[in-house]
Amino acid sequence: MSKTFNIKIDGKECVALQGETVLQVARREGIEIPTLCDDKRLDPAGACRACLVEIDGQRRLQPSCAWKAADGQDVKTHKVSERVQRHQDVLVSLYMADHKLDCEGLPIETGNGNDLRAWAKDCSTLQLEPVNAPRVARPGDVNPYIEFDPELCVLCARCTRYCDEIEAVNAITLTGRGSETTIGTAGMRGLLDTSCELCGGCIDTCPTGALIEKKAEKTLPHEVEKVRTTCNYCGVGCQMDLNVKDNEVVRVTSPEPGTTVNDGNLCIKGRFAYDFIHHKDRFTEPMIRGEDGELHPTTWEKAIAFAAEGMKKVAQRHGPEAIGFVSSSRCTGEENYLMQKIARAAFKTGNVHQCAAT
Amino acid sequence: MFGAGAMTNSIPEIRDTELMFVIGSNTTEAHPIIAMEMKVARQRGAKLIVADPRKIWLAEHADIHLQLTPGTDVFLLNAMAKVIVDEGLVDRDFIDKHTEGWPALRDNLAKFTLEEAERVTGCKAEDIKQAAIWYAQYKRAGIYYTLGITEHTHGTDNVYSLANLVLMTGHLGVRSAGMNPLRGQNNVQGANDAGCSPVFYPGYQKCDDESVRKKFGEAWGIGEGPGPGKNLNEMMKLVEHGEMQALYIMGEDIVISEPNCNVLEESLKTIEFLVCQDIFPNMTTPFAHVILPGASFAEKDGVFTNSDRRVQRVRKGVNPPGNALPDWEILIDFAKAVGYDMPQYQHPGEIYAELARLSPNFSGISYERLEEYPRGLQWPCKSADDPGSDYLHKGGPVIGKGQFQSVEYRPSAELPDDGYPLILSTGRVLYQYNSATQTRRDAGTNAKAGENFVEVHPDDAEKYGIMDGETVRIVSRRGGIKAKVWLSGRVQKGCVWMPMHFAEEAANRLTNDAGDIVTGTGEYKVCAVDLVPLREKKKAHGGAELQAVRHPEH
Repeated sequence: MSKTFNIKIDGKECVALQGETVLQVARREGIEIPTLCDDKRLDPAGACRACLVEIDGQRRLQPSCAWKAADGQDVKTHKVSERVQRHQDVLVSLYMADHKLDCEGLPIETGNGNDLRAWAKDCSTLQLEPVNAPRVARPGDVNPYIEFDPELCVLCARCTRYCDEIEAVNAITLTGRGSETTIGTAGMRGLLDTSCELCGGCIDTCPTGALIEKKAEKTLPHEVEKVRTTCNYCGVGCQMDLNVKDNEVVRVTSPEPGTTVNDGNLCIKGRFAYDFIHHKDRFTEPMIRGEDGELHPTTWEKAIAFAAEGMKKVAQRHGPEAIGFVSSSRCTGEENYLMQKIARAAFKTGNVHQCAAT
Repeated sequence: MFGAGAMTNSIPEIRDTELMFVIGSNTTEAHPIIAMEMKVARQRGAKLIVADPRKIWLAEHADIHLQLTPGTDVFLLNAMAKVIVDEGLVDRDFIDKHTEGWPALRDNLAKFTLEEAERVTGCKAEDIKQAAIWYAQYKRAGIYYTLGITEHTHGTDNVYSLANLVLMTGHLGVRSAGMNPLRGQNNVQGANDAGCSPVFYPGYQKCDDESVRKKFGEAWGIGEGPGPGKNLNEMMKLVEHGEMQALYIMGEDIVISEPNCNVLEESLKTIEFLVCQDIFPNMTTPFAHVILPGASFAEKDGVFTNSDRRVQRVRKGVNPPGNALPDWEILIDFAKAVGYDMPQYQHPGEIYAELARLSPNFSGISYERLEEYPRGLQWPCKSADDPGSDYLHKGGPVIGKGQFQSVEYRPSAELPDDGYPLILSTGRVLYQYNSATQTRRDAGTNAKAGENFVEVHPDDAEKYGIMDGETVRIVSRRGGIKAKVWLSGRVQKGCVWMPMHFAEEAANRLTNDAGDIVTGTGEYKVCAVDLVPLREKKKAHGGAELQAVRHPEH
């Protein structure tokens, strides 16, 4: 077990584990500190300065995401420290001066949310002269999934750090200098021409909606119902949330990091390859092959009776050994259970297997 | 061997490992999220050994890449085992307490010398030696493998050889270690769990055990249940010979998936009765007598069991299109129509409860409990207060003693020769999924990998006089298909590689249906092929003229 000790946050005695940051302790104790650049999957960057706190004995405010908790430490957040709150008011105002605002003067809500908006609502913001940073996009990027809007970017570098530390392909990086700094690629090529695997982790980690899914750009988070389910592709068993609007899956998002087996990560197939669900080529009617050799739509009653009759006839004529049931590793456990039960109990045959016999 | 076919350890343990030995698994492309965990472990300082005939993406992160000749895994693994013996790195204590058959294995290893291994596998002796020493030395050392190990005529021998390594080093019952087959599909594990296996009733209870047959027979109201049946490979052979006359296929495209699919396709034309229950037309559905439209995962409730034995919920988000129905409802109706008294389950939760009641390994899992476990429950989970099992074999193999299995090296069934001088291996790409009926209907996946290709080594391309991007015909003794050439240093000289996703030019028209003796699994990873340029006559490297079509029979 790690060593534990006590620290004080806003006057509250908190237990900290050796190696934990002040932010980690605060979060566990339910003390909310705003962050933009923090993602628990990534090494702390201390880049956005949103999480600064007052620490006894430190002359300057310190980033709680990177500051290690130490025995007896006395920490004050914006909730009790006027100095921290004043810092936050100025900081969020500076961010907003360089950010797309809605008609109420708040950071706009995007299809991918916007943490800056929620934070701004909690602060007494100042009206600052808008900054028009010459941050560039990649207008020629024709990849069908990932959009980058430089006017919403706060350069917290979560996306580029994710691409480096987790996905480990380094397709995107911070490029340019000073006010021209932006999220770029080698030679500012489109993502299809880079090492990008289109996992969309950058979209998932972006706190301000600067990275957004092209297919779901217009759908705001509050318009959808999220249904937690398991991905239907490979065997990792990633948990994902189907974002459902009007009986349609309009987006797939990943759960909070640290809560499921996939730690908030998804791959290109899990996150983006959901168009098949509502594709026009889907079978929508039962069909029976007619005398003419073609398949014809029919009712469920007729199709089921036809299927049952056909299987039964062969079993009666040639014995249960002459029929086989091929089940599916794509279907649910319950469906597989029923399939083998039908083979064994209804047809008395052990000829039942599934597609991934390997 | 020491237990059932499942990962001994868990995915979240990977990041704490000290060493990963990844063999026959293109993890970044086939299991991207597990590969992320591996890359995280790598960044935290773990060693990574990759054994794969190709320079797969994960090999870029590896400390050692053993680029073996396809089909020589047995030699490589036994040579590693011999190094471990010679270096005195075996776990004597573990072997004495928990295994049987050690002396025979040790004696059998004598012939797998490093010199011979270098000659057979094409890997450097020093790399093999270093890999073996590292694997034995680190305590939290895990093996990760997938179809590159099993899809051979000696697939079982490959698995035995890996299990030997695990047992001789005691890397079992240890966190972040073990032997981990990564399951290729969302619910391979779950389909096996549920008894869709010719040798197991649900919960891995054996069909050849009379008490099991009676237990299920009585639960299902039929007296005694049937014994073992035919596996998929055997069923397909019976279909081809006209001895199996009816098939009920749910959610699989057997034509695109089976090796040497040409023969199967012919025999499906004359099969007496074929039921296809699926969501999209595929290469098998044209032969169906009846199509039953099922539901996709987004349209139904249920559970999937993932690669690390984790039972997790599938939840319905939307309705199936048109008159399509959830597959479990279709199956209930079908069972009733054939006259079997299937209970009228109202919800998949009731079906799962029946499965769990009959299977001790899952008896602690229920829909109610799954709501409380957002990370799912990993079997074995035997009671309502059992939190499930993250890694298995704590304190020794669950079957009592682990069995060492001595194996012999046997070359693959079909080796290259003058007529078919190249080795073809098939596999998967990140951007498509299996028969690709789902992923080929998405813009981004297709933008990345939308058409078939064949990876060819530049030296071989020069010999054939073919260029990058050019379409060629790839022929084997069983068939021929077309694909674009991708000149790639990823494959070795003398080897070509193709994905299996593309129905219109299916790689399985080429592959060899010779099966593993034990499992019947086809040899998808090694067969002999030739390339035929489709352009006008080309000058070959040596100046001799090649005919545009050298295998007119295809």
